[in-house]
Amino acid sequence: MIYVIDHNDSFTHNVVHQFALFDKVECDNYDKINENKIKHASTIIFSPGPGNPKNYPITSKIYKKYKGKKKIIGICLGFQHILFCEGAKIVEQKKIYHGFQSNIKVITNKSLFKKGKIFKVGRYHSLKLKEPFKSNNFEITMRCLNSKVAMAFENQKEKIYGFQFHPESFLTINGNLLIKKILSA
Amino acid sequence: MNRLNQLTEIHQSGKPYIIYKSKKGFNLYTNFSKKIILNNKNIKSFLTKKNKKKSKDTDLFIGFFGYELLNNLIDVKIPKQKNLNFPKGIFYKPEKKIKLSNKLNYDFENFKSGNFKININRKNYTKIFNKFKKKIKSGETYQIKICTKYKTKSEINPLDFFSRLSNTNLAPEAFMIKDHNYSIISCSPETLITKKGSDISTKPIAGTVKKTKHLNKIKALNYFRKNLKETKEHNMIVDMERNDLSRICKVGTVKLSKQKIVEEYKDLFHYVSLIKGKLKKNINNFEIIKAMMPGGSVIGCPKINTLNLLNNQEKENRNIYTGSFGYIKFNGDMRFNIIIRSILNFKNISEISVASGVVVDSNANHEFNENFLKAKALIDLFK
Repeated sequence: MIYVIDHNDSFTHNVVHQFALFDKVECDNYDKINENKIKHASTIIFSPGPGNPKNYPITSKIYKKYKGKKKIIGICLGFQHILFCEGAKIVEQKKIYHGFQSNIKVITNKSLFKKGKIFKVGRYHSLKLKEPFKSNNFEITMRCLNSKVAMAFENQKEKIYGFQFHPESFLTINGNLLIKKILSA
Repeated sequence: MNRLNQLTEIHQSGKPYIIYKSKKGFNLYTNFSKKIILNNKNIKSFLTKKNKKKSKDTDLFIGFFGYELLNNLIDVKIPKQKNLNFPKGIFYKPEKKIKLSNKLNYDFENFKSGNFKININRKNYTKIFNKFKKKIKSGETYQIKICTKYKTKSEINPLDFFSRLSNTNLAPEAFMIKDHNYSIISCSPETLITKKGSDISTKPIAGTVKKTKHLNKIKALNYFRKNLKETKEHNMIVDMERNDLSRICKVGTVKLSKQKIVEEYKDLFHYVSLIKGKLKKNINNFEIIKAMMPGGSVIGCPKINTLNLLNNQEKENRNIYTGSFGYIKFNGDMRFNIIIRSILNFKNISEISVASGVVVDSNANHEFNENFLKAKALIDLFK
């Protein structure tokens, strides 16, 4: 079972439907988290959402508790949230991407995806990861072709993954394939 | 007796009636046997109650949900506001339905009205605009629609106004309600819910351009495609409506069936998408209304946070504006629109609300003017 933690977002149920193509999914808002369901889940997803990771201390607690014990995947705010818990700074960016389709590229051969591969993806984010960023086992694996902003990370050792873009958006081409690969990793 | 004489007769009899746009013309509903005033307590039972099986085409409830009621339904609270004490929602059970053609002719009648006054001037609008722009930069909202309201004292005949409005702007979701103590005149273009059996669809509009001699449908499509701001706003609404349908639909059934097409109306072009889905088993109308309303395209995104930002900003109750009008048949089928481009007449005051969107690259002056343009078509009826 996959447990999705919603952050009051208007895209979370697209995420739910996308993951439900591969496994049973349960979803609760972050203020109504059900620990019993988490215990039974193989994977925890942190949803997109408004605001800054620091606004959601409950999600940080869950991350720290289950890091390394269950697969954890973060999308948009969820991506930022995981990095925030790993000590990263999440900052405003000059150019804002809401409803924007971008080309992003796999930049390393330490990724589940082939180095050099380009994806067309949908983006909805005001904030971004401040770089340089370093944390044990975390590798930035995809970047925006134009702005070079970090678009995905992988921590293969502890099975933690994140996408700054939205694999569930209709603007993302082959989003289901991306999710399938991460889930089977 | 021909149908228009019937309309005149019903109007002059003084009894309440409702007119709603149909595919080929209009339907008129009257002889109401029940009138249900909705509030936070009775809305759930109203929407979950099983009615006797549908046998006649008047086996339905027709009416509206106001904005405040729809907020409360999804646990969004509205702080104390200036309030006309207009009902939060009303539904009627008609016993008579009459089909009318698209041409509603009603003899022009004299009316009284003052000059419309706006509740937020350009300077204050710009302040609110800049405040919300900061909220976009910090990620608290991705798109937000600032609402302004125009009001005047008036004494009008709603049928006269609705006939004139329909003759110049035949909108697919147009409707009119005339009751003893209030009336609503609307040329809403936007369908929020079409539900038949387990099929459900929504058709958001995001993007409007005025028709000119030089702008035909193909050029309008090019205009929208090249306009990055319109495209991004539209994309966001499509993903949000996919999300709202996904709450209540079976996995894998939510599909974008028409993506970013242009629809042509008398004076303007709209940029429209159509999203469809198949309802999960055992989903009731209460859950559908909660998932879909208030319609996202007129609020902004993400819905909850954006509603809270708007409600903390707005000093006056929206009443019907960005609520929904439509009907629920006894067999559970529904049709609902989004109440925009509408005049509410209550206590000898006419009010018109309009909104336009703040996204990161919009401009306060431009949006303020666009708000006025949207209101102007309705204000002009008072000339």
